[in-house]
Amino acid sequence: MIRFETIREGVSRCLVKAGTTFRADQIEAYKSAVEKETNRNARWVLERLLENAEIAEKNGFPLCDDTGIPHLYVEIGNELQLPQGWLAAIHEGVAKGLRTMPGRPMAVKGDDIERVEQSQGLSEDPADVLPVPVITKPVPGNRLGVTVLLLGGGPEIRAKTYRVFHKRSIKTVLDEAASWMLTEVKSLGCTPSILAIGVGRSHTEASMRMIEAMKSGDLRKQSMWERKITERVNEEKAGALGLGGDFSVLGTFLNIGPLRASGVRIVSVRPCCCVEPRRATVFFEPDNTVTLD
Amino acid sequence: MSEKTEQARVIRLETPLSDDVIRKLSVGDFIEISGTVFCGRDAVLPKLEKLVEAEDHEAICSMLNGSVIFHTAVSPAGIGPTTSNKVEIEGSIPALSKAGVKIHLGKGALHPETVAALTEHNSVFAITPPTTAIFSEKIVSKKVVMFPEEGMEALYEVEVKGLPAIIAIAHGKSIFS
Repeated sequence: MIRFETIREGVSRCLVKAGTTFRADQIEAYKSAVEKETNRNARWVLERLLENAEIAEKNGFPLCDDTGIPHLYVEIGNELQLPQGWLAAIHEGVAKGLRTMPGRPMAVKGDDIERVEQSQGLSEDPADVLPVPVITKPVPGNRLGVTVLLLGGGPEIRAKTYRVFHKRSIKTVLDEAASWMLTEVKSLGCTPSILAIGVGRSHTEASMRMIEAMKSGDLRKQSMWERKITERVNEEKAGALGLGGDFSVLGTFLNIGPLRASGVRIVSVRPCCCVEPRRATVFFEPDNTVTLD
Repeated sequence: MSEKTEQARVIRLETPLSDDVIRKLSVGDFIEISGTVFCGRDAVLPKLEKLVEAEDHEAICSMLNGSVIFHTAVSPAGIGPTTSNKVEIEGSIPALSKAGVKIHLGKGALHPETVAALTEHNSVFAITPPTTAIFSEKIVSKKVVMFPEEGMEALYEVEVKGLPAIIAIAHGKSIFS
């Protein structure tokens, strides 16, 4: 059986990897954008972001000082027997990872009202930035997969979850989602973005689908509709850091869940910032083999 | 030379900055800042604004004269620009420019009235991407100078060597328009 300590240590390493490294598809997309970008200022930004990723990985530095709020996506094999306290082990791993990286100590202290008003200051412990409740999903097999996503604050200001009257057309739904992002990407500041889009039956499900889009998306494998959305937003020429140019968006990650009989679809869109989605996945086998992806 | 192949010239700046140095800067200039940079954001900039508008503001204005304010938190995770057009941050720019801040460093477009205030006080706005790992290699030292109760949002004095940025707003012109 997988041991408690194995999960804790694996999740800790996974969080640090998520916060300090670009994935292969990100690096490829940035290199391609540098090559194609025609705006001098935007190209300078894209080059700095690539250089930043190299230094971050080499030295173990955070990619961005807003190290984000941990979101966890857990896939549990149907044949797997989990140890007692496995969820606590994941939480302990997150806390250890935040202290190791280190995460930004940005947890607000106080009771409900004091936290809203930020009147009691901030905790000095990065581990007090508690993870959002875990999303779980059963999968075939006998291994445990934990994906750590670190969600920064800028995209949260500009994300949107709302209903769309679909008129029996996917184009109507996705055109509407893209139109929300035309202004938001311009004001994001930290572009190029990746658009994460979830479609579901409720606001909660659409948001969870949007998280799953960030968990699974690959810039090298873009569907026709993902490419269309990307092209539509790039036509606005907001460019990297809002300086104008060809790459306001590097790609789109779309995830569509089960839907209900209705004239309405609930759509959640998040314009990820230029270092996102910061994600890494760790897999645990019953013999305690750990694989970091 | 085409825009595609043009190599950027980098202007190296050392704090404190004189009015003459600022007058020579143009939108689109690549700069590298060395010396002391003040770091503050949402929580602390309105407090600083109140201090410079108080009657006994000589000491604080003397501290800020010729300075750079980087719109960032300072934490063990590093530094990186937050969005400058948040109410608390952008709202502080006119008063702090009047008090002697010469470069406001952050990200995002600013409103026309802020552009006008920057012009009036011969100050500029520069932007930089959130390249925290690069910045971490540029930091020589850091210390809290005011409002320690705000934690990572306190006013910090950070000594840097070669902090990269682009001039986004200068002398009435904006890179965003």
